[in-house]
Amino acid sequence: MNPTRGGWFIALSLFFALVLSVLHLPAWWPHWLAWLRPHWAIVFVFFWVLHVPGRMGLIWAWVFGLLLDVLLADPLGLNAAILATVTFVTWQLYERLRMYTLAQQCATVFLMVLGADLISGTVHFLMSGSELDPAFALSALTSGLVWPLVNALMSRLTIQFRVV
Amino acid sequence: MEAAIKALFLRQSGAGYLLLALVILSLALMAVEQTTRLLAPVRATLLTGLMPVTVIGESPYLLGRTASEAMATREQLQARNQELEAQFLSLSHLAQQYHVLRAENERLLALVESRARLPAEVMAAEIIGIVPRENTLQVIIDRGTQAGVTEGDPVIDARGLFGQVVEAGVYSSRVLLVTDKDHAVPVEVNRNGVRSIAGGTGRIDRMELEFVPVTTDIVVGDELVTSGLGGRFPRGYPVGTVTEVVVETNSSFARVTVAPAAELDRSRHVLVVFARDGQAAADGAQSGDAGSAPESGVADVPGERAATPEGGQ
Repeated sequence: MNPTRGGWFIALSLFFALVLSVLHLPAWWPHWLAWLRPHWAIVFVFFWVLHVPGRMGLIWAWVFGLLLDVLLADPLGLNAAILATVTFVTWQLYERLRMYTLAQQCATVFLMVLGADLISGTVHFLMSGSELDPAFALSALTSGLVWPLVNALMSRLTIQFRVV
Repeated sequence: MEAAIKALFLRQSGAGYLLLALVILSLALMAVEQTTRLLAPVRATLLTGLMPVTVIGESPYLLGRTASEAMATREQLQARNQELEAQFLSLSHLAQQYHVLRAENERLLALVESRARLPAEVMAAEIIGIVPRENTLQVIIDRGTQAGVTEGDPVIDARGLFGQVVEAGVYSSRVLLVTDKDHAVPVEVNRNGVRSIAGGTGRIDRMELEFVPVTTDIVVGDELVTSGLGGRFPRGYPVGTVTEVVVETNSSFARVTVAPAAELDRSRHVLVVFARDGQAAADGAQSGDAGSAPESGVADVPGERAATPEGGQ
């Protein structure tokens, strides 16, 4: 087996995903843009498990989710469990998912984010009684739509930095 | 056939058990966090470690602000300067009166043998991040335990009560805004002393008074200040102005809407108030649940007047 390489790039991309998750847009940008924020963490974790299945383990995904929990002030463990689940599902199916057309992959991302938002909405409801706004599906939609972009860009960079 | 396909696409390994263990661990974490304060230091440590993310994430907003400031014209700046000077004059006029009034107030309070309120200490802080969630209104400020911030400290801006610290990291803290729906603050009407609880609605520009009987004397335009009851917020900080009183025929409570005094969506600079003059310490038992409606445990329904004056201490 080849030794693993490019771990720093995976870490950097996940750091970038965290920054994107909390990015505060300038004041003149319309407010409703906040609803369209894709679930960057899921998109990036999905990418890494799909392309380099051996590198993104369940425990790393879980720890990454824990950091997201702190940043988003979610109950500690919520996003951790969600990202670990995303990793597991993607890892179980990655050969099949790689055969999918781009549109089908987009749909997969959409469904994963939708499921994740439903779970976190339920947990929020159980913990503080806050109801899930139906507009949450917008975030799943944009997550699906940014997938081709992330996929194209990150695939190129993955080759460039020889992440194996 | 089924088994063959399964064997092709699904790996048999211990990963499923690991996932199960991680999910159970997550559930345990959530349960522990919901019921105890044991995880507060963990969260605070992680928040401190994540400060680079917060700072970088906030930079587009800051750059946008700096850019618009840099592009301000000379006329705009002059107008702003004039406005500030006028404001400064009227404020210094008030400040002169304030000293006299405070001395007089202290003498009068001494006459009625009431405990004079110690002036609270404040510390300036800057907002360095927001929590980008639609269902919560929280910001992150650039002061933490190193500067003396502790969980539960009230935060004000130039106009009034801004929120309270719900999590203190080493160099940064998370502040829950007064209009978050998990936030509630005991208030009184400046005009006549009627007391109530101002709860957040989840919308940044409005609060609601909880359980106000229809007969209560609250009208549109009334100014609300913190009542100091409950011990978390010092007395006398402006909270907001009543904008709407709706009396519904089928309810014995009026719906009172309040516009917050603080500029919750515009302020960059806020003040952390160290209310450590005994008021807060006296009610230490409360600091148990900062996140979830901190003041609801001491609900003070207007009409049920407390027997003791001055914050019931």
